[in-house]
Amino acid sequence: MPVQGQQAGRADAGPAAGEMAQTGSSRRRFLQRAGLLALAVPGASTLLEACASVVASAKASTIRVGWTIEPDTMNPLTAYSTESVEVTQLIYDQLMQYDLELKPEPGLATSWSYSPDGKTITYRLRTGVRWHDGRPFSAADAAFTFELIKSKQIGNFGQWLADMVTARAPDPATLEVTFTRPQAFNPGLAIPILPRHIWQGMSFAQIQKYQNIPAIGTGPYKFGNWRHGQSIEVDRNDDWWGSQPAAKKITWILFQNEDVMAQGLRTGAVDICPEVPPTIWDGLAGAAKIKTVSMKSFSFHHIGINVSDNPRSGGNPLLKDRVVRQALAYAVDRQQLVNVALAGHGIPGSVILMPAFEEYFLKIPASQQYDANPDKARALLDAAGYALKPGSQVRTAKNGKPLSFRLIAIESTSVDVAAAQLFRDACAKVGIQLTLTTLDANSLGNTVYNAQAPNWDIFVWGWDSGVNDPSYMLSVPLCSQIGSNNDVYYCNRHYDQLYDEQAVELNHARRVALVHEAQQFYYDDCAYIVMWYQAKLQAYRTDTWKGWTPLDGGIILNFTRDNYLKVKPV
Amino acid sequence: MSTLRYLARKVAWLVVTLYGVVTFNFLLFHVLPGNPVRLLARSGHLTPQAVAEIDRVFGLNHPLGLQYLIYLRDLLHGQLGISYTYREPVSQLLGQYLGNTILLLAGATILTIVLGTLAGVVAARRRGGGFDSMTVTASVIGWALPTFWTGLILVFLLGVWLHAFPIFGMQTPNAVYASPLQHAQDVISHLFLPTLTLVVVNIAQFVLVARAAVIEVLAEDFMVTALAKGLAPRRILWRHAVRNALLPIVTNSALLIGMVVAGAIEVETVFSWPGMGLLVYNSVLNRDYPVIEAAFLVFAVVVLLVNFASDLLYQALDPRVRES
Repeated sequence: MPVQGQQAGRADAGPAAGEMAQTGSSRRRFLQRAGLLALAVPGASTLLEACASVVASAKASTIRVGWTIEPDTMNPLTAYSTESVEVTQLIYDQLMQYDLELKPEPGLATSWSYSPDGKTITYRLRTGVRWHDGRPFSAADAAFTFELIKSKQIGNFGQWLADMVTARAPDPATLEVTFTRPQAFNPGLAIPILPRHIWQGMSFAQIQKYQNIPAIGTGPYKFGNWRHGQSIEVDRNDDWWGSQPAAKKITWILFQNEDVMAQGLRTGAVDICPEVPPTIWDGLAGAAKIKTVSMKSFSFHHIGINVSDNPRSGGNPLLKDRVVRQALAYAVDRQQLVNVALAGHGIPGSVILMPAFEEYFLKIPASQQYDANPDKARALLDAAGYALKPGSQVRTAKNGKPLSFRLIAIESTSVDVAAAQLFRDACAKVGIQLTLTTLDANSLGNTVYNAQAPNWDIFVWGWDSGVNDPSYMLSVPLCSQIGSNNDVYYCNRHYDQLYDEQAVELNHARRVALVHEAQQFYYDDCAYIVMWYQAKLQAYRTDTWKGWTPLDGGIILNFTRDNYLKVKPV
Repeated sequence: MSTLRYLARKVAWLVVTLYGVVTFNFLLFHVLPGNPVRLLARSGHLTPQAVAEIDRVFGLNHPLGLQYLIYLRDLLHGQLGISYTYREPVSQLLGQYLGNTILLLAGATILTIVLGTLAGVVAARRRGGGFDSMTVTASVIGWALPTFWTGLILVFLLGVWLHAFPIFGMQTPNAVYASPLQHAQDVISHLFLPTLTLVVVNIAQFVLVARAAVIEVLAEDFMVTALAKGLAPRRILWRHAVRNALLPIVTNSALLIGMVVAGAIEVETVFSWPGMGLLVYNSVLNRDYPVIEAAFLVFAVVVLLVNFASDLLYQALDPRVRES
């Protein structure tokens, strides 16, 4: 699932390469003017061109995707990268899938229903489905998968089955899953169904070390091959239960460099690029036979403030005063962050859900946002007694301690470093001193997540929502997530209660209201300063495949696989 | 007898150095801040119990000293462990990436050494002439060019503009080859641009070293003697001058070959070539200890062996080394 570490990695790849693209293209123009063409040896080049064209393959039958991050593994239980899910979601079916409007549609289950108390979900499953190795699929496989994940607590999926009591298959076409409490999010939308005959009997350690090549699923594509560092291929499963997709193969081609990836799109070596850095995307706009698309994403970048109550926390205690945090939030202009760090490709940030969640997303009127109001920040600090001594640039608390904090960011994520610098400068203007240090992603993660003694003040990082449901993001600030995902050590009983209420609310309108309330509550506490919701920038060729449908989260590399299944050759 | 003793001493040193390298590598990466499981735990909403279980599976729960002993034991049994990231045996991973790197760098290195030395010798012979100044200027410009930039320029010129060469990867994705020969052609066309880049930016060191060494030898008295004896100028140059000028070139070559296995991360990045440089870079970022340790072990072994070989080669080339 879209993964924090990975996500940070991706965000980081983008802008760095974006800068490179800029220099690259301006140098290209320079060279065109300078007419350095003479350098090329015409004879040799035509010869080699002939060789290259011999091996060019039939394009219309293969979808070629260009990206810059390699999946970690084909084992869905130990995979952490979005890229792994992108491939395995075509190999494995789920009980339910998302369609191109991100609404649930039938997968291996043709229908599903809730018991009157909401605690049992009954799925009616397809019959006659076969695994890629020819063995028949039955409800026993689905029950096995749910039980395996619940009992072993492996990987991403354990969180969706935390409340599960049993999963059983009363007959080969029925799966009944019982929970301790109603489930607002249907886990059928998140869990890939694994073949019992392959995974049965494996221990935790064996699963952790299991490569799962070739991966055997029931999905529309079969595992083809994986050349490490180069490409992954899947082949169409002609026995799939759904309507047959047009592409015989899908290949994901790994680039180490976004600039060359964009050139690959221009020259027709790839058909679609799901992650294009802002400046490269701008450069591709208007290119021949290329369409660039900007969509909402399920991602944001944020400033996190250490509010840990742990007595061994090394965080500056002044940050536990909400007034100080609100002043930090008021000090900086979100729109400026978007304009400078993202070249305008994003929406200024506010609450912990992204606008792509549509009705669940809480729109806070501009006048009520903690944003771009340094005067308000100064007034708040003045009123709370954080005074500026004459001749000093830094305010001090009543106990004489200065408002001076450490700020950390990931050095290779240039958008974050740019944002951190703007944030630091904006805070200096209201009398708060920030000292910026940059680290690599792993070191920052280790510093922030040192739950025994978190010794840091403020960080810059980001999140992707792992699923198309508010509960993933809303769960991050829970008390129970301290030691797991809760990166600012926020803990508030009222917030926890709001979360619990929405998680079991099966009535949609009531759930929306509770989700809004939770967002507002967390927003007012200012432990997170969401800087922006970055746009999902993608680009595809118009002369190879047609019918790519843009949607929230992206054409591909999204919660739905349907664009792969629905496109047709031009 | 003295040669045997010399060899034995060298081999003993080799083993001691290797042990030092192994220990240093282990400590270096394990004391780095960061931890391979931590970020996985964040991504995956893992419970602390699940994190502890993963730690246990990979032996990260043991104290550092014990981890070190286990590492040494496994190493002596030829086991390099399993990559934390790819969940694949390290030997398998390393085999693929090392093969790719050698494919790319072997050709480039040989071309650099041979072409550079030849150009340097010819330039020295015609010192001050047109060829000399052109070669020296061109190679120094090449030396000064940033590798990354040179690669991108070649991509734009020969790849995107002229469509002459493929600009990324080792082979055309999804290609169906009629024969192994066609496959080889495809790989060679993919090799062209990265090889050219490597030669352009590296050739200067051989041109300049060979040129300087040959000029120095040409000024020696025995060159005049050879000429006076009536030897052909070509024979004087290649048999007498060049042979005496080879020592610095051998030293340089040993250094360059030692770097071959480490990959060429800039060129690999520009041309999306899946080589050792990228594997190591990503593994450091992911704290994939087994991969990093194994990769550095390979680097160390190769550097040591190449140095060992160049020591022996010195002896063959120059009697003065033998005597001392």
